[in-house]
Amino acid sequence: MSATPLLSLENLSGGYGEIVIVTALSLALSQGQALCVTGRNGVGKSTLVRLVTGSLKPASGRVMFSGEDLTFAPAHGRARQGMGYAPQEGVVFDTLSVAENLTLHHRDRSLERYKELFAMFPRLPDRLAQRAGTLSGGEKKILSFCRALAEDTRLVILDEPTEGVQPENIALMAEAINSAKAGGRGFLIVEQNLSLVEAVADQAALMDHGQCIYTHSGTVNLRAELSSRLKI
Amino acid sequence: MDLVVTYGLNFAYSTATLGLIVLGLAVVFGLLGVMNMAHGEFVMLGAYSALMVQQAGLPFVLAIPLAVVVCGALGWLMEWSVIRHLYRRPFDTFLATWGIAILMRKGVEVTFGREYQSVDQSLPGTVSLLGIDYPAYRLVLMAVIVTMFAALFVWYQRSNTGARIKAMVQNPDLAAAVGINTARLSRATFVTGVAIAGLAGVLLAPLVRVEPYMGLDYLLSSFFILVVGGLGTLEGLVTGSTIIGGADVVISAIFDKTAGYLGVLAISILFLWLRPDGIFSRR
Repeated sequence: MSATPLLSLENLSGGYGEIVIVTALSLALSQGQALCVTGRNGVGKSTLVRLVTGSLKPASGRVMFSGEDLTFAPAHGRARQGMGYAPQEGVVFDTLSVAENLTLHHRDRSLERYKELFAMFPRLPDRLAQRAGTLSGGEKKILSFCRALAEDTRLVILDEPTEGVQPENIALMAEAINSAKAGGRGFLIVEQNLSLVEAVADQAALMDHGQCIYTHSGTVNLRAELSSRLKI
Repeated sequence: MDLVVTYGLNFAYSTATLGLIVLGLAVVFGLLGVMNMAHGEFVMLGAYSALMVQQAGLPFVLAIPLAVVVCGALGWLMEWSVIRHLYRRPFDTFLATWGIAILMRKGVEVTFGREYQSVDQSLPGTVSLLGIDYPAYRLVLMAVIVTMFAALFVWYQRSNTGARIKAMVQNPDLAAAVGINTARLSRATFVTGVAIAGLAGVLLAPLVRVEPYMGLDYLLSSFFILVVGGLGTLEGLVTGSTIIGGADVVISAIFDKTAGYLGVLAISILFLWLRPDGIFSRR
């Protein structure tokens, strides 16, 4: 395993205009590992993701990706450097077909790279010609998840990937994440569903008021520790 | 019968030319949300490209690449220097492009003079069609416009770039997050829109008076069509052109040109009042 973290957030602060949501947050993630960030609603988890993906510019701090400073790199540049992203809201392009959503960012329109994911989520290949906007909320999430996972990326960022997804599919998502991790890819996952966190996390971070208030390595006592702190 | 055929062909010609004029604005305003008040001036620059080619004694067809290059380069400069800083600020864009339009008009006036000029018909004569003699250039122009629209429609619906533009229009943040360079794609879309306006100017030049203020009429017609048809769809553009062009032809034939213009204005006001998103809308 490389000594340089795949993703390193150094005293990262930022938000919307004058309003600072995330405050001096530092986290690191190694290759082949999943870092799950959890916390109550409105504590800044999605803002953190937007700072990492480049949708928001940080007020201070640094975003290092494989040792390279991407703090002020544009969002599309980060994606091309190897960051895949499935957002919490606006997860698909509604007016495009399912197939177009999956191939939009590739030069070729081959769906070959989705073979394994299609086997896991068989409803998706049945709906390739359908407009993505007509899918249910859970199906849109799975489509977005598959798109982010199948990209040729080193880091996959998932923001509340299980929201609206049925439990059987959440288990399949965990399986897909663990398989990708075994292939050396890293995951930054913002998630409130502790079942998924427990199934995939190598590290967990608990956020409150824009700061990281607790970190946990490994899975031993993970659910109990996070649950007790989430109740505070 | 001859009268019906004549009116029918005039109706088709009016609709097609309006569609051509508005196409560039539909790309820039409908997709990027940029209310380009200099749209008519790009049409005017296209017409002056045809005039320059004629004055140089070169074949008319060379005006097409000249207009595309001139308008494309100017559009690139305009997007880079002004427009890109004003995306999602419609009122600022409105004012800035209006200022640029004045500059363009005055620039052309200083260079070519204020007087009306004309471009010779490259295809003079008439063609006998359905029992009447109709100007050959008008028929060729209609065929070119229909072919252009069909090609653009197929390209937009089926190409990867078309899909990327739709993605950028719908969700720019997600589009950037999946690796689409939205800044570059916006610029390319803007340049394409104004280059199409220049192309429209070339094709219409032999049929209209060429003068520095000719773009103002085209700007108004273009906005009327977008108000009626709706933004962001080719169906809306064709429908808007048909309604505005058709109403103008029919009312002008029954009464006079002023009544035709008032009729078009009344239709646009009714749409703004009762159906502000137009007949077809992306929303």
